[in-house]
Amino acid sequence: MIVVVGLSHRTAPVEVRERFASGSEGFDQVLARLAGRAEIDEVMFLSTCNRVEVLARPKGGSDEARARALKAVREVLAEHGKIAEPDLKPVLYEKEAEEAVRHVFRVTSSLDSMVLGEPQILGQVKDAYDAAVTAGTLRSFLARCVHRAFSVAKRVRSETALGAGTVSISSVAVDLSRRVFGDLEEGIVLLVGAGEMAEAAAKSLGKGAKEIRVCNRSIERAAVLAQRFGGAAAPLTALEAELGMADVVVTSAASPSFIVTHDLVKRVMKVRKGRALLFVDIGVPRNVEPNVHGIDNVYVFDIDDLEQQVAIGLEARKNEAAAAEKIVEHEVGQFLAWARGLDVQPAIVSLRAKTRGVLVAELERSLQGRLKHLPEGDRAALVQMVESATNKLLHAPTTRLRRAAGDGDAQTLTATLQELFELPVMHEVGDDGAPKVDDEDDDDDERAVQ
Amino acid sequence: MSHTLVNVLLFVAAATYSAAAVAFLLHLAGRGAGKTFLRAGVWLLAGGAALHATHIVVSSLVLDLCPIKGIHFALSVVSVLACTAYLIGRVRLRIDAVGVIVAPLALTFLVGSAAAHADASAAGPLKSAVLPVHVLANLAGEALFVLAFAAAVAYLVADKQLKKKHVTGVGARLPPLDALDRAEHAFLLAGFPMLTVGIITGAFWAERVESGSTVDVLRSLFGYATWALFAAVLLLRAWRGWRGKRAAYGTIAGFAFAFIVLVIYLVRSQSATLLHGA
Repeated sequence: MIVVVGLSHRTAPVEVRERFASGSEGFDQVLARLAGRAEIDEVMFLSTCNRVEVLARPKGGSDEARARALKAVREVLAEHGKIAEPDLKPVLYEKEAEEAVRHVFRVTSSLDSMVLGEPQILGQVKDAYDAAVTAGTLRSFLARCVHRAFSVAKRVRSETALGAGTVSISSVAVDLSRRVFGDLEEGIVLLVGAGEMAEAAAKSLGKGAKEIRVCNRSIERAAVLAQRFGGAAAPLTALEAELGMADVVVTSAASPSFIVTHDLVKRVMKVRKGRALLFVDIGVPRNVEPNVHGIDNVYVFDIDDLEQQVAIGLEARKNEAAAAEKIVEHEVGQFLAWARGLDVQPAIVSLRAKTRGVLVAELERSLQGRLKHLPEGDRAALVQMVESATNKLLHAPTTRLRRAAGDGDAQTLTATLQELFELPVMHEVGDDGAPKVDDEDDDDDERAVQ
Repeated sequence: MSHTLVNVLLFVAAATYSAAAVAFLLHLAGRGAGKTFLRAGVWLLAGGAALHATHIVVSSLVLDLCPIKGIHFALSVVSVLACTAYLIGRVRLRIDAVGVIVAPLALTFLVGSAAAHADASAAGPLKSAVLPVHVLANLAGEALFVLAFAAAVAYLVADKQLKKKHVTGVGARLPPLDALDRAEHAFLLAGFPMLTVGIITGAFWAERVESGSTVDVLRSLFGYATWALFAAVLLLRAWRGWRGKRAAYGTIAGFAFAFIVLVIYLVRSQSATLLHGA
């Protein structure tokens, strides 16, 4: 089966995660080093600001093979993060088989993210997958597991509201402006105050806006910020005129009294001929007089309102997480059933080869002896008959074996089959579909695909 | 057989409208993923309108009547036209979720018109060249006012949600306030000239018919009041910047008056049928 070794915001402090973000080697080098390890058969490397993870399939299916692969991954990670292996081990998580599959599905579905339901992780896993495909470090098994993880993430997105709602102040502000104006293609965003908070808000709100204007006591600071967004600057004395033009106003000025008063907005709304106006007041103390919210077509949201929306969004996502976990559990079961089916594949292939071999050999003997007078057409019909008989004969045992594998109890059946029919001990089905006969390495003779 | 077909079409159209209304509601309630229910609602509404139109055509063939003459047909035509205008304008005006109001209105008009199944000939002396213009202009105007009304109601709901600072929930799925306000204005602007033509031709026809019954006077009064209200909403918006909530209330009041005119038509039509039957 597969193993996962990694560290994330849940296990490692930011100082440790930083070391991996600026590691000793680039992403491709780490992947190449992992793929170059003899203990690893297939591998994918995922690196984000909150997570460094290696998804690998050990070479061989025994416990020892898994332990060797885990150690190999630890060594590569320790070298990459420039941390001694013993120091790294406490912040690492290691997951195997079913637990590893569940982890991959949960991570891809954003159930293990710092912000539950954030959409970026799916893209990051896809990038890691593409890199592994390009580097040729993935084969059928791991590729199927990751593909399945993408499907799970899609199901979680479409069947639950895990990604719905807004969970940051800036996203709430963007959401509010959408609720009032739709997109801001023709809209003007006015920043009152030129501090860091104004800049952060402008980054999110200003993306689709027609123009960003900055109004500040210090016109110089306003000009610097406005220049950064390709907008215009104005002094605070021009606030009334600026409010007449703006659609969304973000206020974050340091002021002991209200900058935007009820009377001011009343006057402005006459000039605006009732056009809607949205205030996002992130200043503390507040910059906008609260009763401004009572004016028709004017909406004021202060920092408490925004934080309340964030809390609601997070709570809603938590409620959806249970439904998402159910989907993950179901999909883990499906994947494991498929993977267990691979366990019996060598026995099925072997049984089929033996049955067909016996029948074809007998047929050949007859065709060279008593039946040698048969014309070519009849010979072909007999060969076809043998094929058909093999299929019919083996249909029931094949189906039962696969069903037993899905239920997790195919081991006895497989062993019995090998004993009764004197089948060779085969382990893995290669990418070409042919079983590999194992004649050495007793460690691995349980199951290669498990 | 033909009557059975009419009934089947009526039932299926009503069921499709109901399903559309449920789909739009589920979309607003945030059920399902993304826009699945919204898309379903739009398709169901389109299907319902197509079935409804077929019902009108088949019914008029069965009854051997022009579909614009009877009041019950007129009600039906209004809702089909409203659905069509919504389906055409929804993307451009970004008012997808207004379907939650359009679908039940269409259903009400469909069922209402079926319930008011009256003899279309009860509409009075109809041999006038002005009458088809009068009826068609009123029907088109009424259909656009249905949409303006729907946009106004959605605006008030969305505005109330924002004023209460409820950012999540039903309001989150409604179109943006600005889009609703523009849509309401656009529908009023398009419907008002139709209503004006309807009023002028109505006055001309009334003079010819010389009917002075109380019901006709009432109908005329409410017709003029509707025109005056919509004119005021449009004028005040342009002159004093009355938009948003005020415009929405004005539109709803105007639509209520227009609806009263329809009800008066309906009552008169029913009474005439009863008298005719007696």
